[in-house]
Amino acid sequence: MMSRVPLAWKNLTHDLRKLTVAVAGISFAVMLMFQQRGFNNALFDSTVALVKQLEADIIIFDKGRFSLSAETRFDREALDIAASCPGVEYADAVYTENSVAFLRKQGRKARPIRVIAFDLSRPLLKNADGQVIDLRKIAPDETAMIDELSKIEYGFDLAPGTDDRPKPPQIGELAGRKINIVDTFRLGRDFANDGNLVMSSQTFEPYFQYRQFGDPLGVVDLGLIQCTDDSPENLQVVKQMLQQRLADNDVLIATRDEFIQREIKFWAKSTPIGVIFFIGAIIGFVVGIIICYQILANDIADHLSEFATLKAMGYSNAYFFKLVLTEAVLLSLFGFIPGLLFSMVLFEINASITGLIMVMTVPRALLILGLTIVMCVISGLLALRKLISTDPASLF
Amino acid sequence: MITDEIDIEDLIRKWNPKKTDLSVSVSGLNHYYGEGDARKQVLFDNELHIRSGEIVIMTGPSGSGKTTLLTLIGTLRSVQEGSLKVLQNELNGMSQDKIVELRKEMGFIFQAHNLFESLTAFQNVKMATELVGQADKQSKPQIESTLTRLGLGERIYYKPKSLSGGQKQRVAIARGIIHRPKLILADEPTAALDAKSGREVVTIFQELARDHGVTIIIVTHDNRILDVADRMVKMVDGNIVSNVLVKRAEIICQILIDHEKRTDSKLKLFSQLTPTVLTDVADKMELRQYEPGAEIIRQGDIGNEFFVIAHGDVEIVVDGNKVNELPAGSFFGEVALIEDAPRNATVRAKNKVACFILDKAEFQDVLDKSASFEEELRKAIFERQ
Repeated sequence: MMSRVPLAWKNLTHDLRKLTVAVAGISFAVMLMFQQRGFNNALFDSTVALVKQLEADIIIFDKGRFSLSAETRFDREALDIAASCPGVEYADAVYTENSVAFLRKQGRKARPIRVIAFDLSRPLLKNADGQVIDLRKIAPDETAMIDELSKIEYGFDLAPGTDDRPKPPQIGELAGRKINIVDTFRLGRDFANDGNLVMSSQTFEPYFQYRQFGDPLGVVDLGLIQCTDDSPENLQVVKQMLQQRLADNDVLIATRDEFIQREIKFWAKSTPIGVIFFIGAIIGFVVGIIICYQILANDIADHLSEFATLKAMGYSNAYFFKLVLTEAVLLSLFGFIPGLLFSMVLFEINASITGLIMVMTVPRALLILGLTIVMCVISGLLALRKLISTDPASLF
Repeated sequence: MITDEIDIEDLIRKWNPKKTDLSVSVSGLNHYYGEGDARKQVLFDNELHIRSGEIVIMTGPSGSGKTTLLTLIGTLRSVQEGSLKVLQNELNGMSQDKIVELRKEMGFIFQAHNLFESLTAFQNVKMATELVGQADKQSKPQIESTLTRLGLGERIYYKPKSLSGGQKQRVAIARGIIHRPKLILADEPTAALDAKSGREVVTIFQELARDHGVTIIIVTHDNRILDVADRMVKMVDGNIVSNVLVKRAEIICQILIDHEKRTDSKLKLFSQLTPTVLTDVADKMELRQYEPGAEIIRQGDIGNEFFVIAHGDVEIVVDGNKVNELPAGSFFGEVALIEDAPRNATVRAKNKVACFILDKAEFQDVLDKSASFEEELRKAIFERQ
């Protein structure tokens, strides 16, 4: 039996002060990457949160609607045709307004808010936690629910009420008319919207008279289709049938997942936002490489004559390759753990400040872990060159 | 008396090496530094043959090329011109993989200790045994006993930070010898050591050389350890200016002077020789062994060798009658060489005998070099008659 002297581990952990500096440097890079990826994900997660929380298998929307925030609508007639399609159980209309919807509390400035409205006959909207929202409170006219995650600047009390102590109604002004905010729900802000209101379509109608000439409810923002059979194969069948029947209605039809992908694709590809965060993450990665390289290269430089001695003794380049890579991977793990913990704290802080949805999921953490390891390994390979070129003849 | 202390078997093995006993063989070696116009020759046609088990001390001013030669022998530099054989391997044109393998059979002791601060003395030494794939069960007691031997028994599991300079150097020495290398290259190994530990280190070197046939090349200016050298090599300006088997000359001197003292002879045949001639003679002498009763020379034969008894006693027999007996340190066989006549007596080994032998041409060479030698020799012949 031969147990090897754990040289990589010993060299790394020998000087605790140096190790601390090294770990701090690498966790900083890890945090940078987490933040950039986190904001990027928050952007996507937040913009598709509404679609995720709506009850729908298939979504019908106007051909011109390149993104959820684009206010192009389609004729309600399309929804009536869809409702009569075989395989379609329900077809419901969702009305949204954001560019002309201003909410104001007395004594405060009016601020734009997204208003979401639908018939209350069925529970179409869920909370962020998946619970169905009790919509009975907003059945009366001129009542609405406000998103708990709306900006605090609106001036409303956003704390959720409890069954024992329901919240007293708060009076505000929406599009110049009185509105009673009777309860809260949970959806979240995104880059385009600072807050959300939910109301019935009857309430909605008088506030936004000028959505179009004629009946304000005659144009629909999103058509929600629920199918009798929601298996993926069937959804495709229904989708194709709807596409045939609505061929003349200037609408697009997508399953909910397709719609979400389309929305994410828009933000990632058609706006600079995705690119900005991508570059941010790259910068974190590069900073990490530089920090890690400095640490490894310094470590090698400090021990150059010892390594040269090992070479003279007959240690091969393969040994040094393994040694430096082990050090690199150990460093990446040492740096990743505190980096992850700090990032989780920062995510919480960010989420509470911005109202964006910032969640740390296992695949996202693993992606950053992978990037961290790659980062340290690249630095290791760069630092290794110095070691490989060391001439043991210089020892004499 | 030195003759009794000499292990005659060991002496014979060392004295007449077979070709395969050469541990290092340098021949026509040139080396250059720099490129193009800046190219400068640092080694000039070096010739050096070192036998297994020899302790070689290399001296010379700095810049004389001794370090270059040492790094070439240690495979740490590539051979440019000439032949360099180390442990039967030609280094000129050897592949890097083979060189890495060959290094495992060598031990290096550098002037700086070069120990990993993060490892204990034990672990630093273990780096060498791991390389040759030695099992822990075997290497652990060996490392511990070697470190104890070097006076570090209490500090085996200390890190270099808690060791003095001399202690660190001893750990480095332990690392250089622990894996039983066949060739040890040491650069000022004792410079940082006090007299006692320096002596312990060279004693270990001597044991390794004697008991395990390890060849040891030491570059040093430490005159406290010069006495361990079998061979002294001096370099100046890239040339080997002297290459002397000091141990041989020393042994022959001891035997002869011992004899001259013992017999209170008026003959000062060898003590008249200058050290240069003496070492030259010693270098050329062959050592041969005879069983009891063996005839070393026979009366009437053609004589072409000169004998000095290194060990044992011989009987002189003329026409079947024993006329005399000669002890160690005596010489015979000179008359036939000088007078170019057949042997005038038979010489027979009385017990186990070893003789240093010089052949006719070399004998003549010594005569030519030293007038006093010839004079004393003639006096001896005259007295004998």
